[in-house]
Amino acid sequence: MPVQRGQQDAQQFWLGLLDAVRHASPPADHAEPPAATPDFNAPAMVDRVRSELADVRGGVTLVVDDLHELRSPETLTQLTRLLTSLPPQAHAILAMRHDVRLGLHRLRLAGELAEIRAADLRFSERETRELLHASDITLSEAGVAVLYERTEGWAAGLRLAVISLAGHPDPERFVAEFSGSDRTVAEYLLAEMLDRQPPDVQDLLLRTSLLDRVNGELADLLTGRPGSERILLDLEAANAFVESLDPDRAWFRYHHLLADFLRLELRRTLPAEVPALHRRAAEWFIRQGQVAEAIRHTQAAGDWPDAARLLADHSFSLTLDGQAQTMQALVRAFPPGADDPELAVVRAMGDLAQGRLDEAAAHLEVAEAHVRTTPPGRRRRLQVAVASLQLSLARRRGDLTAVVRQVRFLASPVTGPSDEDIALGSDLRAVALMNLGTVETWSLGLPDAERHLREGAVLARAIGRPYLEIGCLAQLGFAYIFHDPGEPKADAFATTQRRCREAIELAERYGWGTEPVIAPALMTLAGTLVLLGEFDEGERWLRRTERALQTDTGPDIRLLLHQTAGMLQAGRGRRHEALAEFAAAEDLASQLERPQALASQMTGWRLATQARLGRPGEARAGLAGIDDERARSGEIRNAHAVISLAEGDPAGALDAVHDVLDGTAPVLGYATVVEAHLLAGLAHRELGDQRAANQAAERALALAESDRLVLPFAMTGSAGLLETLPQYQTAHAALLADILDVLHGSSPAATEVTSLLPAEELSPGELRVLRYLPTNLSRPEIASELSVSPNTVSTHLRSIYAKLQVRDRSSAVQRARELRLLAAGRAR
Amino acid sequence: MDPAPAQYMIRINGHLGATMLSAFPALAPRHHGAHTVLTGLLDRSALYGVLAEIEALGLELLEIQKLTPDRASPVPGHDRSR
Repeated sequence: MPVQRGQQDAQQFWLGLLDAVRHASPPADHAEPPAATPDFNAPAMVDRVRSELADVRGGVTLVVDDLHELRSPETLTQLTRLLTSLPPQAHAILAMRHDVRLGLHRLRLAGELAEIRAADLRFSERETRELLHASDITLSEAGVAVLYERTEGWAAGLRLAVISLAGHPDPERFVAEFSGSDRTVAEYLLAEMLDRQPPDVQDLLLRTSLLDRVNGELADLLTGRPGSERILLDLEAANAFVESLDPDRAWFRYHHLLADFLRLELRRTLPAEVPALHRRAAEWFIRQGQVAEAIRHTQAAGDWPDAARLLADHSFSLTLDGQAQTMQALVRAFPPGADDPELAVVRAMGDLAQGRLDEAAAHLEVAEAHVRTTPPGRRRRLQVAVASLQLSLARRRGDLTAVVRQVRFLASPVTGPSDEDIALGSDLRAVALMNLGTVETWSLGLPDAERHLREGAVLARAIGRPYLEIGCLAQLGFAYIFHDPGEPKADAFATTQRRCREAIELAERYGWGTEPVIAPALMTLAGTLVLLGEFDEGERWLRRTERALQTDTGPDIRLLLHQTAGMLQAGRGRRHEALAEFAAAEDLASQLERPQALASQMTGWRLATQARLGRPGEARAGLAGIDDERARSGEIRNAHAVISLAEGDPAGALDAVHDVLDGTAPVLGYATVVEAHLLAGLAHRELGDQRAANQAAERALALAESDRLVLPFAMTGSAGLLETLPQYQTAHAALLADILDVLHGSSPAATEVTSLLPAEELSPGELRVLRYLPTNLSRPEIASELSVSPNTVSTHLRSIYAKLQVRDRSSAVQRARELRLLAAGRAR
Repeated sequence: MDPAPAQYMIRINGHLGATMLSAFPALAPRHHGAHTVLTGLLDRSALYGVLAEIEALGLELLEIQKLTPDRASPVPGHDRSR
């Protein structure tokens, strides 16, 4: 893999490398080809490259050419990581013109590094003779000695000499003149070589020297003559410091020494033509969609306002293409006098990526002012860009509601007059929809969130932007769980989990399974699993969410990470750890400008955990500091009840949850109501009213039944409350058994599940019967509960025993628990 | 901290022709025996830019010297290379 001249973007480097590895050995799986992402995770990419290298059968040698062109110190660090941990059958060759900062001492000490330095590459006199002989050049012994002495065995110099000597009428004279000249070896030989080319070849070499790579079409354009491809092919065949870059021999590049010399010569001899040549090249590159290259040439032509406009128009596409650093380098290339308000958008993007929020806001203000003076043709596009960035900024700052009102207009399509405008507009619009839907989701209860995210996903798929599609789908999973919390849907958790898993699967196909873009889905999946009492599986997804968020600097999503971790710890009864997580979440929430929508939940759980840890005084002091509006929320009222219970005041607890139970207190979700019933049950029990306690527990079970919600029972410590519930009386025996399993920590490890799959899937009818098996109900009683005949129940039972390979009711229940068949969410 | 620009003397093996010299517009060239001596006022980034050019153009760098203000012109005789 050759490193492109002045490569700034780590991602471009690694994608190139991964592509090269895959080219050498196509992977067996059906993964999508590597695609760029705006939030690139270099360490994860290194692991991916290493694992693909390890999968290559036989040996593999990685060759990285021109490594000195890499302008990303971070990438050198990551490359060092790869090189010091290569799979055994993989070898690497790095070629560079000067030393770069790679930490390879360990390899050197271990004797696993071979260094070929200038002295090793220098030709001996004998090798010089062999080179001339192989090139069919006849030269006297003395001539060879002089040539060798003059070039000091410098390989590039000797090769240049060979080009001029080949077909030279008098090689001896050439060597004598060369030897007699005071000029530097490089300049003398380069000038000689150029002089010996026909005029049209010289002209082509000069005019195309300002390109990093050239093809026939581009060369025709810059010389104004056809036939360039033939010349390039001939030059390559003549070994004249021109080499092709691809197997089809369509693209060529010049040896750097030749290229640099030609560039100087062009500026010296045809200075007036240079800007026009750059302009022509820029036009060609923009037609090819190679925007960064086009901007570079526009800058080189000195057309700074045009370059600024191009950069602003393509800034979203460049970011999506993984060229964020290149883009910022292009911004830095503007001289102080050529600054342009168009660049404010691009600068704001860089600031946002680096987490410099105040600078981003300042640049966005400049951009906004500029939008107002922009001609109508481009105004709309700039407006969308600015609004989209304002949404990102607002999300990072947690100031959502104000901005949502401002940017409503984003939902309508950007229409432009040309195809290019529409393509540009599509990238912009898909980003805008994702940002809008995300912010709407985070501000909760905004019903448009789902619609915008779905629309964004469809558009992203249509325009081939998998990153945006996955981003929308990941948020969509998160959006659903909060959708209309007043009316819980029967299938909310099952649907949410399915959506999350689908989004994760798609992300994995692109190798983004642990990238920030998929984090909302990973987190939501972890959260629902914890709520359902699947603590081990929930923990695994939570760990993965943590890895995905390593590169994200925003407090908003990290806050949820701590909250979910707190839920997990609290569910497992580890209250000290839970308290630390809730406090960390609250701390992050305080960094947001406005209270986050989930803030009452975090504070509520933190206070409740303090009280349960025997620190009700501390918790009550915290309660006093909450403003009235939040204090009325169901979550804070529940916390109040927990504090009262800890203080030995069950009547006070009942008082606290009253408004939650009668539905007048606002709640974030019905889990809060389940929790309130359980707290009421605990309070009734303290007061000695067992009947009211049982009723409260029964109501909690009834509410929790549809999703099979387990966490509220675990967090409130309701084992005692549930155990005194007469099992034969409850209509929720299966759920009760599940919950008690979790509370007693006897829930089978989820890892066993896959190895225990039943021989044959149970039918819906059989599943319905199965769920009554943990109860004390008899066959006729089950039949009457299900409104079927006792015979039907008996038939189902026989079939259940056969499929589960068990002989009696109690081992059927045991097996069904291991297989998680009693959880309704799974079976649907 | 970026030090103030200073006068530098850079000695390169061989004579530079017009093409190669055009890579160093900020420096005054002078032939000195078989060498080319370039002098000029450079700040740090300009200096490293010049060094990068020398490397890119395949030139042989023999000597580089920061000239103190009281020695505004290079003094020959310190040439250790040959």
